[in-house]
Amino acid sequence: MKRRYATAILFLALALAAGAVAGASFLSMREPEPIARGPGVSEIRKLSDWFPGLAGGPGDTEVYVLRGEAPGGSMLVLGGTHPNEPAGFLAAVLLVENARVSSGALYVIPRANASAFTHNDPQEAAPQRLHIRTPWGERVFRYGSRATNPLHQWPDPDVYIHASSGQRLSGNETRNLNRGYPGRPDGKLTERVCYGITQLIRKEAVGIAIDLHEASPEYPVNMAVVAHPRAMPVASQVVMGLEMEDIAMRLEPSPVNLRGLTHRELGDHTETLAVLMESPNASQGRLRGRTDEALALTGKDGWYVKAQKLGRLFVPYGEKGHPIEERVGRHLAGIAEFAAAFTREYPDRPLGIEGMPSFEELGEGGLGAFLRRP
Amino acid sequence: MGSELLVLLVMVGVFAAACFALKWPVSVAMLLASVAGALAGGQGLPIRHLVEGSFGYVDTILTIATAMVFMNGVRASGALEALSVAAIRRFHRRPALLLVLLTLVAMFPGMITGSSSASVLTAGAVVAPVLLLLGLPGEDAAALIAMAGILGMIAPPVNIPAMIIGGGIDMPYVGFELPLLLLTMPLAVASALWFGYRHARRTDREKVLAALDAEALDRYGMRLFLPVILVVALMVLDKALPRVFNLGMPLIFALGAAATAFAGRRFDPFKAAKEAMDQALPVLGILVGVGMFIQVMTLTGVRGLIVVSALSVPPALLYAAIAVTMPLFGAVSAFGAASVLGVPFLLALLDKDQIVTASALSLIAALGDFMPPTALSAIFAAQVVGLDGYGKTLKKLVLPSLAVVAWALAFIVFSKQIRAMY
Repeated sequence: MKRRYATAILFLALALAAGAVAGASFLSMREPEPIARGPGVSEIRKLSDWFPGLAGGPGDTEVYVLRGEAPGGSMLVLGGTHPNEPAGFLAAVLLVENARVSSGALYVIPRANASAFTHNDPQEAAPQRLHIRTPWGERVFRYGSRATNPLHQWPDPDVYIHASSGQRLSGNETRNLNRGYPGRPDGKLTERVCYGITQLIRKEAVGIAIDLHEASPEYPVNMAVVAHPRAMPVASQVVMGLEMEDIAMRLEPSPVNLRGLTHRELGDHTETLAVLMESPNASQGRLRGRTDEALALTGKDGWYVKAQKLGRLFVPYGEKGHPIEERVGRHLAGIAEFAAAFTREYPDRPLGIEGMPSFEELGEGGLGAFLRRP
Repeated sequence: MGSELLVLLVMVGVFAAACFALKWPVSVAMLLASVAGALAGGQGLPIRHLVEGSFGYVDTILTIATAMVFMNGVRASGALEALSVAAIRRFHRRPALLLVLLTLVAMFPGMITGSSSASVLTAGAVVAPVLLLLGLPGEDAAALIAMAGILGMIAPPVNIPAMIIGGGIDMPYVGFELPLLLLTMPLAVASALWFGYRHARRTDREKVLAALDAEALDRYGMRLFLPVILVVALMVLDKALPRVFNLGMPLIFALGAAATAFAGRRFDPFKAAKEAMDQALPVLGILVGVGMFIQVMTLTGVRGLIVVSALSVPPALLYAAIAVTMPLFGAVSAFGAASVLGVPFLLALLDKDQIVTASALSLIAALGDFMPPTALSAIFAAQVVGLDGYGKTLKKLVLPSLAVVAWALAFIVFSKQIRAMY
């Protein structure tokens, strides 16, 4: 009997020690990475300025406002809707730290789902952080989860019912920001964040909203722009413009029967032109091999190369992978094309955005060359 | 890429040695296999990953724990034996009909919650005494309850594996009701008759009727069933009015457990709850171990090895790969099989009707709940019937499971024709 108690106490002590080590690691994810204030940033606001119901809570997040001297249109860029899709977040950071606006206004939310940056998805073995070398040192960015932290919103229902359409999805989608639009002021945290973003678009009369994402290489909608029907004329110009730069991009219409997503609901419930961009990210895919920081940054993965040869992928996949510079470059090139196409389509509301690193510059200099010291 | 195979062999080898040679608990064997896999994969001792992986089953663990407390309360209150008396009195002359009805009752909580464990631990435990009184041997009764559990999990309105598979390709969970009914209901009737009819037909039911102990039923009447009715009602309301109720399974079972203390025979609720946790702990431990195991498989690339190997077979063998790998991967988690393998297989079958195919894949994934070491459905079914182990129950499930796989594959092959029927 004594021996059994001793064994039990030993295992309990080991479990407590493991809990303490893991707990410290989990808590460290709550510390947000600094983002440098770039030369074009006019003010840094909080999403709760547009929906006070978020103030002081885990869903509140910075909104970087870049205003031009000349009047014009306005654009909203969402990064970090899914923090396990790092190219969207990092493109938004580069935009904040480098872009200058000559006409109109640019709103950037790098961490759209701030709560989802504070944890990782169980059983996905994701890296917690990405380290990027710069000429002056190292910048560190969190690699989070696809969904809101369950410590901030729990429990999940068995079935998630989208509020305005009644569409049913798997219960964990209740914490997916890109299934909760247009959001509800009295809904769950994720729905309230969606509502805050929708309110920002309404109150600032945002002309075009771009949601930056990544997709696993086996996912059919990839290297693509998904556009609401009203955004199609602008989006088709963007795809042609990117083709001229040798950047392959498909154009997909927003499905009518898939509800809760930015490109559908923001287009239906506000006046904005709602679009979403996808780049290929192996670190979120089901076919990936060893899961680590290197995979998220380089995209190099032998299993994906094999899957490509088997014809199981929807994007080209070679030994060079799809490095983060290419994926961020695709997003930034897309944003530049959207600003230009919007200006052509609505000349009375010009959008002049300069200073963004180009696709080629990112490929040559790497991300670090354009990251400032915070 | 060869290193992933080495890691897999190390993980399987350490698990087998700890579990079968050293006879250590399955949960401890999975922990050791996970640590060994991480070391072999050059990841050191990744404590954060081990803890994080185990959190994948927090909700499931809470549901199972509270369901076990509830069922122990139901049993102690005398409700189970009372229900047996009532069912046998009403239907003893029509054993085939009684068997089918009992199977549908056993499926019901799974249909509402999407969980085979919830089905087996609630309605499964309710029908178990009736099946035994009808003359079914314990293993056949347990096998029928386990099969009803996974068929309930797949039958509409709630099929979580289908939602997971559909979510992987942005296909909303719409239009699944009819194909899921076509998939599951014929199998439910066939299972009821396969496991039960030959035994029930031979039983002298008049003798059984005379031997029934009706003391609890006669003394407490319908009051005995109020906790079960409360739990079923809350499950239905949870789904019908999610914005009003939305209690969640753990709270529903906790409320039901509290109600059992006032429904019938007096019992010590704390002692009953402690016994329930004693019964549940080995399974809960397995879930924690499985969570670590999956996390390390993902971390080291073993998951990629398994998925790409399954997709590497020639097109002609794709169906064989589905039939073998999805239930096998279900040994770690049926939901995991739906997500990790179900989505790539559905993408490989884009020329088929997507709704019918996703429905059929969800059924094959659900068979993972029969796969050791987790085998949640089979373990709990053996427990509610009162068997010591679940090995014989699993043997009874082999042939019916093969029939289920064949049925589901036929749905995939003829998905377009089936879709054209409705």
